[in-house]
Amino acid sequence: MATPQVVIAPLLVALGTAVLALLTRWDTRVQRATSILGAVAYLGGVAALFRAVRLDPDNRLVYQVSGWDAPFGITLVADPLSTLLLALAAVVSLVAAVYSTRAVDLEGQRLSYHALYHLMVVGVTGALLTGDVFNLFVWFEVMLMSSYVLVAFDSGPASTRAALQYAVLNLLGSAVMLLAIGGLYATTGTLNMADMARRLAEPAAYGIDPAPVLGISAVLLVVFLLKAGVVPFQFWVPDAYRAAPAPVTAMLAGVVKKVGVYAVLRLYFTVFAAAPVAVSLPGIEGGPELGVLAFFGPVLFLLATASTLLGGLGAIDQPDLEGLLAYSSIAQIGFILLPVAVAATATDPAVRTVGVAAALVYSVNHGLAKSLLYMAGGAVEDAVGSTRLSDLGGLTETTPVLSGVVLVGALSLVGIPPLTGFFAKLLVFDTAVRAGAPLALGVALAGAVLTIAYATRVWNRAFWGDPGPRVQAAAAAALTRAGSTMEEAGDAVTDGGADPGAAPEDASAGHGDAHDQHHGDLSAAASIADPLLVGCTLALAVLLVALGVGFDPLYTAATDAASAALDTGAYVDAVDPTTAGEALADGGGGGSGGAHDIETLRSLRGDGR
Amino acid sequence: MAEVTLALALGLLFALGTFLVLRRDVVRVVWGVAIISQAANLYLVTMGFGLTGAPGTDVPFLTGGTEAPYADPLVQALVLTAIVIGFGTTAFALVLTYRVYEENGTIDLSDLASNPFEGPEAAAAEVRAGDTDGTESTVPPTSDETGGEQ
Repeated sequence: MATPQVVIAPLLVALGTAVLALLTRWDTRVQRATSILGAVAYLGGVAALFRAVRLDPDNRLVYQVSGWDAPFGITLVADPLSTLLLALAAVVSLVAAVYSTRAVDLEGQRLSYHALYHLMVVGVTGALLTGDVFNLFVWFEVMLMSSYVLVAFDSGPASTRAALQYAVLNLLGSAVMLLAIGGLYATTGTLNMADMARRLAEPAAYGIDPAPVLGISAVLLVVFLLKAGVVPFQFWVPDAYRAAPAPVTAMLAGVVKKVGVYAVLRLYFTVFAAAPVAVSLPGIEGGPELGVLAFFGPVLFLLATASTLLGGLGAIDQPDLEGLLAYSSIAQIGFILLPVAVAATATDPAVRTVGVAAALVYSVNHGLAKSLLYMAGGAVEDAVGSTRLSDLGGLTETTPVLSGVVLVGALSLVGIPPLTGFFAKLLVFDTAVRAGAPLALGVALAGAVLTIAYATRVWNRAFWGDPGPRVQAAAAAALTRAGSTMEEAGDAVTDGGADPGAAPEDASAGHGDAHDQHHGDLSAAASIADPLLVGCTLALAVLLVALGVGFDPLYTAATDAASAALDTGAYVDAVDPTTAGEALADGGGGGSGGAHDIETLRSLRGDGR
Repeated sequence: MAEVTLALALGLLFALGTFLVLRRDVVRVVWGVAIISQAANLYLVTMGFGLTGAPGTDVPFLTGGTEAPYADPLVQALVLTAIVIGFGTTAFALVLTYRVYEENGTIDLSDLASNPFEGPEAAAAEVRAGDTDGTESTVPPTSDETGGEQ
């Protein structure tokens, strides 16, 4: 039987790594080793937590910080929903950490990169584990604070501009989140999620009026959708994703976005759905059995549709790889929210479970595939010096392995069996069909067609066709390097095609005849991309194939997570605010207490764990 | 009375913050964000008062009752946390603003927006074109116009 302490293991590991990465600045090699080992340990911690949650009879592990019982103390809850996304975060953060050691410049790594990177992981972990609304805000801030700096890390004109935009938007988002939290506290008299769900389920027993929850949760939704980059809160996405270093973008698109999705699932499906509020707005009617979800279903559907279509259309027209992937992220987040929206208004519990499970499988697929593509884009930029589609072309000849990896990632986004993306798309369609929502089905189909369009465009322009001048220059330089290495080794083989020294300038000057001269030799330079960077993307590609071929474990995990997200009662029971909740019930719902509350607090602390 | 005063103060702060956020000058935008987060803090404190008019639930310095009523301590703890976070983020935003000024030579949002991202190649070309590269610490040429106006 696992102890509840395992819940904070990933949190402590990531925090410890961040601190150690600062302390080991005297030797960059030790520092990089610390960072990678820390990411490995984090993966281990998450795996242990995942296993412990699976083995737990309730499938939930609760850790009350300092032994203060809920709802007074800080509660950390690990359930299948949070551990599934933690597993995604652990995998992506490990691969991106290894990738960073090569992709980020050494001085930046020495100064602060690794510490900031792991602090971002700390924020993600905390946000996924916390059982307290205000702590969710704090963990969001931890995550964002690091990501502001990481977005600005290249510190060029474009990076600082994008970081400023990103920071100002998220600072406003934080202020709005604080407002919503204040409103929730005033309405329900508690900040603990389980206690809040409990009070909202029986508002009369606790003397609260649940009606304001609808408006407050709508305000809160803005914050989460801003983090997730959903239309109409998507405008920061392309700039920020272009500006950030490739491994950071992989984390932002692959993991940080999913925290917004997690918050929507956790708060709206587990907590706010408990409130028996009848919604009656123009065009939206819903009885108390659906609660606030009767309102959020149509709203989310509208935003998911807009994201899918605008993101997909925008991606088709982007001049560079990173911009295309950023718009693709906007489109894919629409795909994630679409089944969530269908599930929100579905009355059949089976459909709800499938809908949320579809969103989770899609999140995992998008998290892996998109971080793969961003890291591959970074590897291309590292090798060629540009990600503009007009500069690229013929990458299949010069970087065969990387091209294969990108093909896997792109096909997984498109949804070709046996990759994970196929099952993710299938589940989205399945949700729409089961719920009898032809409109959602149409949107999903249109989004799928758009995905095919932009994936094809990347492939045709960047990977197939004749190599552009920059690709040739890079290939020639690679040949030169290979040649000079051989000469140094005392091997007298002179490479015919590449005249050392002259070739790079020749090709980069864009001579017309350079094309024929070098074209035959491109395959001789085995790969112009950095092997470590390609290896990282390859690991993710293998995982995408493996999860698709052996889809069962992922499906089981996603279904468990969906059931956990929808089962408010079990969540409340696991956190168990029974004694405290009842003791405070007579204190009124206004959030203000009397002298007896202090006595309750003292007695609780006395027999606390 | 307390409700009206606080509601007016909150409305005023939010209006001022929103007005500043919509300005073109980045420093004013950062000020606006800071004011909005302070307004959010004030709102949080307000939520702890109860505002029911009943003794024991209103803020002590407004009621001054005989039985020494106290306000909800939880919201004050929340606000303390939020103030600390807000301090850090505001400081970062101001430093970032200075950095944007150093890199782009302007803190006017319209000027910043008119230089859309053109990729590392275009940025490199710009550097080559304006060959008076100098060191990073030199004041950008457009500083007088952008800093002085508004």
